[in-house]
Amino acid sequence: MKKEIANFKINGRPYEVIVTSNMTLYDLLRELHLTGTKRSCGVGQCGSCTVLVDGNPTLACSTLAIAARDKEILTIEGLAKGAQLHPLQQAFVDAGAIQCGFCTPGMIMMAKAFLDENPKPTRKEVSEGLGGNLCRCTGYVKIVDAVLAAAGAMIKGGNP
Amino acid sequence: MDPFEYFEPRTVEEATRLLFHFGKRARILAGGIDLIPRMQKGDTEVECVVNIQKIPGLEYIEPNEREGLTFGAMTKLHSIELSRIIQNRHAILYEAVHQITSVQAKSMGTAVGNLCVATPASDVATSLFALGARLKVTGVDGEREEPIEKFYVDYRQTSLKQGEMVTGIVLPNPLPGTGMAFLNLLRTHADIAKINVAVAIVVQNGICREARIGIGAAAPTIFRAAKAEALCISQRITPEIIRRAAEAAADETRPITDLRSTADYRKEMARVLVKRALEKALEMAQG
Repeated sequence: MKKEIANFKINGRPYEVIVTSNMTLYDLLRELHLTGTKRSCGVGQCGSCTVLVDGNPTLACSTLAIAARDKEILTIEGLAKGAQLHPLQQAFVDAGAIQCGFCTPGMIMMAKAFLDENPKPTRKEVSEGLGGNLCRCTGYVKIVDAVLAAAGAMIKGGNP
Repeated sequence: MDPFEYFEPRTVEEATRLLFHFGKRARILAGGIDLIPRMQKGDTEVECVVNIQKIPGLEYIEPNEREGLTFGAMTKLHSIELSRIIQNRHAILYEAVHQITSVQAKSMGTAVGNLCVATPASDVATSLFALGARLKVTGVDGEREEPIEKFYVDYRQTSLKQGEMVTGIVLPNPLPGTGMAFLNLLRTHADIAKINVAVAIVVQNGICREARIGIGAAAPTIFRAAKAEALCISQRITPEIIRRAAEAAADETRPITDLRSTADYRKEMARVLVKRALEKALEMAQG
């Protein structure tokens, strides 16, 4: 396989893209101008490029694009409903859980996968759930605050 | 990362034929958490990637009262972590997986992939040494089963022959009177172990009937401390036996000095961890 036309479903929308074997999922998202997903370490250590593939938290930098074809891919761009932020996004804003912001999309996508599996977590469980995401500003306290607040909001208002 | 040939076989047979054809130029893609970063850094030259994610029937956890618990080549570390039966019966495997910090690595990565990377520091593999795991291997000539200690030949080298792949792992059901413990030392939680130790013993009527002591990151491969095990078997496990077994285990290590530890420190910590693990396993076996 040199080049191949492959079908992708990203944030509910179908895409038909020419991919090469050595293209990562991160490269693919960039090419489609879905630039919300951030690459930081590029070698699967920092969690910054986390997206959901069929609901599973996935490192886009360490995934071949071609291996993700025909799967449901969800990125940070797919969370808000129009101008209505997802409860996790709103909670990150409200808690001031953003410093430089570079780790934020990965944090939020990981937090979404985590809350989908464990909707009523303890503080310790949130810390463990985000164990694969690094924040070089070290803003972890407010990030955990935000995820706990979002968990509360999602129990009240429903998990969108 | 340079372009490569890419295949998505739909059967194990198809995968083994591809692996046989491409030989050393091919790599299996399961979770990709080791392979893809390695290819991006240019550490590994790969001409052919065989993605086994689309082969049906490789992702399962299946308990069996007679033969033991089996899981497949595509079974994710996270599924192992969530399995109640593994938490209860094969607790040291759960512990070794649970302490991996990256949830993404556990959601993408497979236990079999972790084994096949064959790093001597794998916590998962060391726990499987103590659990007496057997590997199910399929090649172009058929299937075979191999005890895990035969699987590791040298640093990052396994016994897999051209065209072979690991399709699953079998964990024997623990016998009555089994106690087990997993311990490791890390600089930070996200780092690779400086050293790790996993122990499983079977104590019946006060006498140790079986002992398996796995040690990782203290030799070119993970290994079983055979001399230490022999000191325990057919004995009543006293503090003196534990002390002697721990010393024997430390003698059996062949550690190196690297950025994580000195060889001397690793040897000394092998003694300390084997002692603590035997104490903990004994307590559980008698509980």
